[in-house]
Amino acid sequence: MSTTSERSTRTIYEQVQESPEFTQLRSRLRRFVFPMSAAFLIWYLAYVLMASYLPGFMATKVFGNINVGLLIGLMQFVTTFAITTIYVRYADKHLDPAAERIRKHIEGGA
Amino acid sequence: METPALIALIAIALVGVVSAVIGSLGVRVARSTSDFLVASRTVGPVANASAISGEYLSAASFLGIAGIILKEGADALWYPVAFVAGYLALLLFVAAPLRRSGAYTVPDFAEARLHSPALRRVSTAFVLVIGWLYLLPQLQGAGLALTTMTGLPAWSGVAAAGAVVLLTVVGGGMRSITFVQAFQYWVKLMAIAVPAVIVLGLFSFSSSSFDRPNAPQFVNDTTISVRTDAVVQVVEPVQFRAYGIIDGRGVDGFVRWEAGEHTALKGTSMQFSRGAPVPVVVGAPPTDREWLEPMTGESSTQLLEIYSILLAGFLGTMGLPHVLVRFYTNADGRAARWSTVIVLAMIGFFYILITLVGALSRLYAPQLLVTGNTDAAVLLVPTGAFPNGWLGWTLGGLISAGAAAAFLSTSSGLVVSLAGVLFTDILRGKLKDFRLAAVIATAVPLGMALGVSRLDFALTVPLVFAVAAATFCPLLVLGIWWRGLTAPGAVAGVLVGGILSGISTGITMFARPPDNLLGVLLERPAAVAVPLAFLTMIIVSKLTKAQIPDGVDGALLRLHAPERLGLSHDRLDPRRP
Repeated sequence: MSTTSERSTRTIYEQVQESPEFTQLRSRLRRFVFPMSAAFLIWYLAYVLMASYLPGFMATKVFGNINVGLLIGLMQFVTTFAITTIYVRYADKHLDPAAERIRKHIEGGA
Repeated sequence: METPALIALIAIALVGVVSAVIGSLGVRVARSTSDFLVASRTVGPVANASAISGEYLSAASFLGIAGIILKEGADALWYPVAFVAGYLALLLFVAAPLRRSGAYTVPDFAEARLHSPALRRVSTAFVLVIGWLYLLPQLQGAGLALTTMTGLPAWSGVAAAGAVVLLTVVGGGMRSITFVQAFQYWVKLMAIAVPAVIVLGLFSFSSSSFDRPNAPQFVNDTTISVRTDAVVQVVEPVQFRAYGIIDGRGVDGFVRWEAGEHTALKGTSMQFSRGAPVPVVVGAPPTDREWLEPMTGESSTQLLEIYSILLAGFLGTMGLPHVLVRFYTNADGRAARWSTVIVLAMIGFFYILITLVGALSRLYAPQLLVTGNTDAAVLLVPTGAFPNGWLGWTLGGLISAGAAAAFLSTSSGLVVSLAGVLFTDILRGKLKDFRLAAVIATAVPLGMALGVSRLDFALTVPLVFAVAAATFCPLLVLGIWWRGLTAPGAVAGVLVGGILSGISTGITMFARPPDNLLGVLLERPAAVAVPLAFLTMIIVSKLTKAQIPDGVDGALLRLHAPERLGLSHDRLDPRRP
């Protein structure tokens, strides 16, 4: 790689780094990932807490051999899958187009 | 050898042979990043997701989950949940950025992000520690399956599993390993789904219910040999024949146990008749109703223990070497995200089935509750439900095949990653042959598996996850998301987390931790080790601000900007011969 192209690469990094599009992309990602993880962790840890401190509620029968605790336990699988799907859709819908705009910005500016 | 044992042996051997054959169809040996690249271009998304799932669902998942459900019931649901949730954490924090970084192992990532040879060496050491620690229960699981199903000695199962793993890894490249593991996923799924549906059918046509205040009942006449001293709880009086030491007295004849706690010492043999109530090992819920109700107990140490396991599962998955490496076989970050969704559906479905079989084992394999060594539960369900008949034998063979697929897939994935690290980092220049690295990667845990006595999966697996969570999780998460991370900070954090969790792993493996808060933390170190590792990494990085690498903005941009910008690049290993 020649010195010239190295210099120009660095310029691209700086350009992108400072561009509002990139800041927006990063903040969009963070705004989604961190609250979603927090919500999931709370739901996940609350299950154990409920089992410890609300055993009566968790043992409430729903039908047959199934009680509230078992249903909430199974719901954990469902929510994990749901969050994953939501994230992937969010990334496809909001993150990738934002990245596309950055690309156009770079190409336009170059 | 009796018919059911023979069927199981043939089924296990068949999975081993087919895996070795599929593996040997590949030509090149997976020795470098470019082989993963080849795999990413030629392996379709479903095959790739099957391979990821096949590799992830280990012997611990196949055997261990059902065992702990049999013993702990509803309280054990958070176990499979933790294993599934670990994938979510991997997806949210690590998958796409890591794919973009071009690094496919933690040492590669560490070097690309922080340019520190010291950090690379430390990460390499922990890849080996985690990989070998995780191979240990896999190989021992093979021994357990073989002993349970065929009566052959455990060492023969351990040795055979080691040999087949080595053959598949040495014989084929990453591409063929991918197909081997995809094949093994479907074997595992079938091996669990078919018996689950048939036994569930039997259960729903019987009048059995779990919602009763009684102990589980022996489903057939059963003889139990006590291998380690057992303390059990009896809720309704039970009579049985015994030979050995019961409640401190030598016995040869009929014994009647009233409600309360009783003991049977090592070497005792007990014969229960069909329909007798099962005495349950102390510490597990003794009646079906208590077993059905989530009740983790009021004591604060129990809550700490569970939180610790959950934390280890949630944050440890991303640090397992064979899991991480798999994301490189995706074409780009977007494909990495989507394959995670398919993987979650695949492993989630498997975990629900295995939980169901675990619950059914309370009816059809309750004899394991006497000793509390319940890891064989899933293997014994078919013959418990259909004793003395081809249906039970065939289903037993199917489940044995699934167990074989489970320990083979995870082990071969681990050996591939470990051999890669050994080849490029530790033995650079000393070894011309990748195959020798694979032999070393297998031999070390094989020796350990033969030398160390087997502990319950419920104990060993969360420990490995805890080491991974306390070392690589902080390194990856902070490395990807925090600009301020420095090499000294990363080294300090990995060492603090690794040494803490490593010490507790060593103590748990070779001694019995005390029955108090310290003991709980030794067995379940994640709750302390993970936060401390994060904290150390952040504090030391803040103190060594001057050492934030120069190109940090470019590096972070590469991690977070999509591939199409052309800023990320696939690393081709220059050391490749």
